[in-house]
Amino acid sequence: MGGDSGNRISVEELSFTYPGAAREALSGINLFFEQGEFCSVLGRNGSGKSTLARCLNAILAPSGGKVTSCGLDTRDQGGSLEIKKRIAMVFEDPDTQIVGTTVEEEVAFGPENLRLSTDVIRERVDSSLELTGIREFIGRQPSRLSEGQKQVVAIAGALAMEPAFLVSDESTSMLDTNARQRILELFLSLKEKGMGIIHVTHFLEEAAMSDRVVVLDNGRVRAEGAPGDVLYDPVKVSEMGLDPLPVTIVAREMSAMGYPPPGPVLTVEELLACIRA
Amino acid sequence: MHPRLTLENVSYSYPLPGRGEVPALSGISLRVEPAEILCIGGANGSGKSTLAQVCAGLLMPSSGSVRYQDKRVERHKDLLELRRKVGLLFQSPEDQLFADTVEKDISFGPRNHGLRGADLEARVRRAAELFDLSLEELGARSPFSLSGGEKRRVALAGVIALDPEVLVLDEPFIGMDFDSRQHMKALLGRLRDTSGTSIVIITHELSSSWSLADRYALLAGGRLESLQNRSELVCNEADLSALGLRLPQWGLLANRLEKMGIVVLDPADPLALARAVCSIGEAGDDR
Amino acid sequence: MIGKDITIGQYLAKPTALHRLDPRLKVIAILAGASVIFLYGSGWGLLAFTGMLVLVLVLARMPLWPLLKSLRTVWVIILITALLQFFLTPGKVVLSWGFLTVTDTGLYNGLIFSSRVVILVLLLAALVMTTAPLALADALASLLSPLRHLKVPVGHVITVTSITLMFIPNILEVSRKVMRAQMARGADFESWNVFRRVRDIVPVLVPLFVKVFHDAEELALAMDVRAYPENGIRSRLYPPRIGALEIVLTLGFMSIAVGLIFVF
Repeated sequence: MGGDSGNRISVEELSFTYPGAAREALSGINLFFEQGEFCSVLGRNGSGKSTLARCLNAILAPSGGKVTSCGLDTRDQGGSLEIKKRIAMVFEDPDTQIVGTTVEEEVAFGPENLRLSTDVIRERVDSSLELTGIREFIGRQPSRLSEGQKQVVAIAGALAMEPAFLVSDESTSMLDTNARQRILELFLSLKEKGMGIIHVTHFLEEAAMSDRVVVLDNGRVRAEGAPGDVLYDPVKVSEMGLDPLPVTIVAREMSAMGYPPPGPVLTVEELLACIRA
Repeated sequence: MHPRLTLENVSYSYPLPGRGEVPALSGISLRVEPAEILCIGGANGSGKSTLAQVCAGLLMPSSGSVRYQDKRVERHKDLLELRRKVGLLFQSPEDQLFADTVEKDISFGPRNHGLRGADLEARVRRAAELFDLSLEELGARSPFSLSGGEKRRVALAGVIALDPEVLVLDEPFIGMDFDSRQHMKALLGRLRDTSGTSIVIITHELSSSWSLADRYALLAGGRLESLQNRSELVCNEADLSALGLRLPQWGLLANRLEKMGIVVLDPADPLALARAVCSIGEAGDDR
Repeated sequence: MIGKDITIGQYLAKPTALHRLDPRLKVIAILAGASVIFLYGSGWGLLAFTGMLVLVLVLARMPLWPLLKSLRTVWVIILITALLQFFLTPGKVVLSWGFLTVTDTGLYNGLIFSSRVVILVLLLAALVMTTAPLALADALASLLSPLRHLKVPVGHVITVTSITLMFIPNILEVSRKVMRAQMARGADFESWNVFRRVRDIVPVLVPLFVKVFHDAEELALAMDVRAYPENGIRSRLYPPRIGALEIVLTLGFMSIAVGLIFVF
């Protein structure tokens, strides 16, 4: 477990209850998130995954336990500005998170809030647009872009904060298949550049592309590990309220027929590769 | 036996004041039969939302004709009648809930069409039952106090209460988790099988309705590109990609098998697919 | 930007001279103009002012039609208040209709009041159409910052105003969607029956409010997550410059406006 505290988010015995709620939304969560890692958080509706995401960047303060993000305790009000700089977040609805009338204005929003100088803002806007591959959108009106493009703009806006981690709270849920693919590829390329990606989703194909998967159920961590280890058994997966990958269902039928189980395969290519071997 | 809903060469353009018109649909011809589930696959921007509204009588086509059981929809009066016969549910239908109680919300539709008293009550009761909602438990509660899945079913019941023969659903599974989705698929299948309702599911995600749909129509750029069944879809993977759509893993697997010369009769059946995959191994062993 | 590209009463992305003007100057000019109008404006003064306003807008190449459309939303209120003035102000009776009487003072007051409101709405619409919501929020934050010393909660005013402004297109979009959904259930918004139309508003208003509040919360969160400051004071990628020309023009406009009101 490498790196100093500046490179990770650590969640210790975290519990959280919404004001007025009967039951805990999260209880006894223990997790680590590292930079340079793409981690997916899965769980059925109401399992607490959005709540967990919002505890990581101090939007929500823990009811019990502790979250230390990049060395800062999220319960400490004084550190909240620093946390917002280190841990950026994008949300599900592209239309309610964009504030600018041009893409440029949108991406500049964060740095402007940090009261940086014009030169530095300019630099950050340019590099965020470069990183997300949307340089040519700079003068366009976000309202005229597709939902997928808007989400890329939202991510560029988040990157302009120069964060160590990017938390995606179901940012792909409202997009079509091609747009989702683009966002996933963007996450992977950001991860390669050393950013920590925490992606809350209910699409298992996306989780299958990540380094690590965390499954929440009823506010607790139900499973954690490499995608292959966590998602290969369709019975366990559906018990956790998730949509099993078809390939895993087929693999299970195959073992029921007496065929030697092909191991933890999650994609069509993997399945066929195993058979041919 | 006439098809329930027929669209013939329908085109629609949105008027934009000061900027002319924006074409949304062109030359769409489509038939919806009784007791079938038709999936219209289209990416965002393909015109699927407009098509849903034309089918349900919210928009009058700019050209071409819409017929319900061979009677042409021509005047405003016909449009209103079509809205009763074709129920329409938009994305995130829970956004439309407004009444103090679940019962009142469900009764909004039939009440607008003149139902009162015992008839209204019976209709509301039946609609609630069709979507596994217990009026005893939930009828007097505020719709805003329900869970996401329950809210969605209340919205659906509100539309079914109109007693439509055709139900058009725009992205009905979005945002639903596994259990809710399975439940919804079972309810829709039941509607088709026991009430003979025609169900049109409009979506960009072919996976949710993979085992449910009887036929697929593909929409892109306002045009209906093709009409296929599941096996045909499997063979035409490249075409789907060009339309911004993707086969679910089931279909992808069937497609790869088909390329290897192994035909799967039902690409929604896990057993059939499993047997097909096993047979590759056996073929290999025989070498 | 939230919602689709609707241009009624919200930011118009067409570069006019007014767009480039520092929003603080616009706000000051409008405040000055509006107060003079409401305090002193009457009769010919109002007409002269309106004439000058139209001239300025035309010179600045402002498209007038969207501006006039913004009156659509308020005409009912204007009509009702005008009618109240007509019927309830004491004075010499000019028209009579059963127990309803219209007096000459009532007529005059009603017309004056309506014109003032119309001008105010046009001024505000012009402001909103030529100023990006964020820029307007920044302008308000800057202008109101001295009030912070008096412990006035300026920050909240700024955030709420900016979110509200950014929400106008969203509100229109959501109401369209909800209306469509209710139409599919038999609500008739084109009915000749006025009672029916009024009754069918409720199934639109409730979901509209619920959704709009929900979306506003999400927007506030998205702004908070990128460190939008409590006091609204931020730096700018394109800092607004107040040059001599702008000041002269603004002062010129204001003096002419005030002059016209007092002369007439």
